[in-house]
Amino acid sequence: MSDIVFEITDLKKHYEINMGLFKKPKVVKALDNISFEVKRGEVLSIVGESGCGKSTTAKLMLKIEEPTGGEILFEGRDITTIEGDDLKEYRKKVQIIFQDPYSSLNPRWKVGQIIGEPLALNTSMSKKEIRDRVLYLMEKVGMEPDWYDRYPHQFSGGQRQRIGIARALALNPEIIVCDEPVSALDVSIQAQVLNLLLDLQEEFSLTYVFISHDLSVVEHISDRIVVMYFGEIAEQGTVEEIFDNPQHEYTQKLIGAIPVIDI
Amino acid sequence: MNIIEVKNLKTYFYSDAGVNKAVDDVSFSIPEGKTVCIVGESGSGKSISAMSIMGLIDKPGIIEGGEILLEGKDLLKLSDSGMRSVRGGEVSMIFQEPMTSLNPSYTVGYQIDESLKLHQKHLNKKERFEKVVEALELVGIPDPREKYREYPFKLSGGQRQRVMIAVAMACEPRLLIADEPTTALDVTIQAQVLELMKKLQRDKGTSMLFITHDLAVVYQIADEVVVMYRGHIVEKASAKELFADPRHPYTKALLNSIPTPGKTVRKSRLDTVDDSVDYLSFPKEIR
Repeated sequence: MSDIVFEITDLKKHYEINMGLFKKPKVVKALDNISFEVKRGEVLSIVGESGCGKSTTAKLMLKIEEPTGGEILFEGRDITTIEGDDLKEYRKKVQIIFQDPYSSLNPRWKVGQIIGEPLALNTSMSKKEIRDRVLYLMEKVGMEPDWYDRYPHQFSGGQRQRIGIARALALNPEIIVCDEPVSALDVSIQAQVLNLLLDLQEEFSLTYVFISHDLSVVEHISDRIVVMYFGEIAEQGTVEEIFDNPQHEYTQKLIGAIPVIDI
Repeated sequence: MNIIEVKNLKTYFYSDAGVNKAVDDVSFSIPEGKTVCIVGESGSGKSISAMSIMGLIDKPGIIEGGEILLEGKDLLKLSDSGMRSVRGGEVSMIFQEPMTSLNPSYTVGYQIDESLKLHQKHLNKKERFEKVVEALELVGIPDPREKYREYPFKLSGGQRQRVMIAVAMACEPRLLIADEPTTALDVTIQAQVLELMKKLQRDKGTSMLFITHDLAVVYQIADEVVVMYRGHIVEKASAKELFADPRHPYTKALLNSIPTPGKTVRKSRLDTVDDSVDYLSFPKEIR
């Protein structure tokens, strides 16, 4: 198995905005010529401010949207063109944890059902096997077994995020894209979820693509960082390079703006 | 001199399920020209404390007891119309979401003018226009004369928050309450807005009650800090003392749970607030 899981080259995503019947549409370049790699077993963070294209990048990697140009190689294969069974296989390997644990869980489903859904859809496991696997996952993310039959509204934000994490782990993925997984949570809960993510990464040798605007969190969790600015990459490098010796003016500005407690 | 003194404030919410003591026996005061920060997690009662001062508690919430003294005058004893003249005049508030707290169908200038119309009745139209322009200039909006006629949707998040500050500062309040004013903003914009608030406070001598869950922001802006947990104050100290020597176990846990660049070891497991600990059982640390 190669060391590089994702190889992204000249990725573009342009949106056309209709300006009126006879006018030329305006093109918004949400992403323009983005190139970076994701190595196996690392935490790669994509940081930037609202509108910089970090979530668009995630959507393209997850094939929720199609790029305008460029390629995304996953284990050597271009995923921008795959479909059918290949796509289904791909989806099993790459999972996502969403930002908002309130809107990303179906309120009418029980916790057990939510976590087991990927298994019911993608595997031929029996109900009993699925139940066992769900209980195993719940234990891994620090949930009590008797929460199996409860509904999401009975849980706090941090506990809901654990449900989302368990669901993402269900199919034994290689990669998990974490889209702002802690930014909707209180600081104390944020720490619990970050610890959990780090523990799970070790245990299941996961690769994370971590999307965040919170630089303190990014500094804590990442191996390498891609800094985005207006749809382009301002700078990329290891966490040490970016934080200890930022080169790009924008990175310096961003790091300078983090409020820090230094006593 | 204290601008505001909150004494033994109790704000409860009643429902079929029982009483929720959102704010339970909370006392603090804000000296003239100083910034007091209330920090705490969601549900700790920090916003309800602020809403109680503003007289914005609605059913099923009831202020069960206590006093809120604004320069000696008990706000809880005021009539509705008395409270209306305080709100927006002597005490004003900035909210978290600049996107939803401005009215989308009125111009920026109109919304600042509105509070002048209500609270500074001696000014004529032209004088008010000049005051609005001045307020916009003060908060660093470029081309204030043109921006007067713009609608909020044309402004960025940071600019909207500046406009909110202009609305709140227009009548030169004695006390400004800011409820998570920078939480919805990007870091670089957050830094600008915090800088602006500090500058306004220096220039105008306004006292500030700043509510946030972000301890790093507290460190940047506070003179004094009130730490709230489940409706109670667990620790109160000057910002210097609190950060140098946090005493209450809850404050310590909170401080240790945030990753700090340059301090926490990368990828180490962070300390967490322990759900199984009853932090209220420890003695309160009031300095």
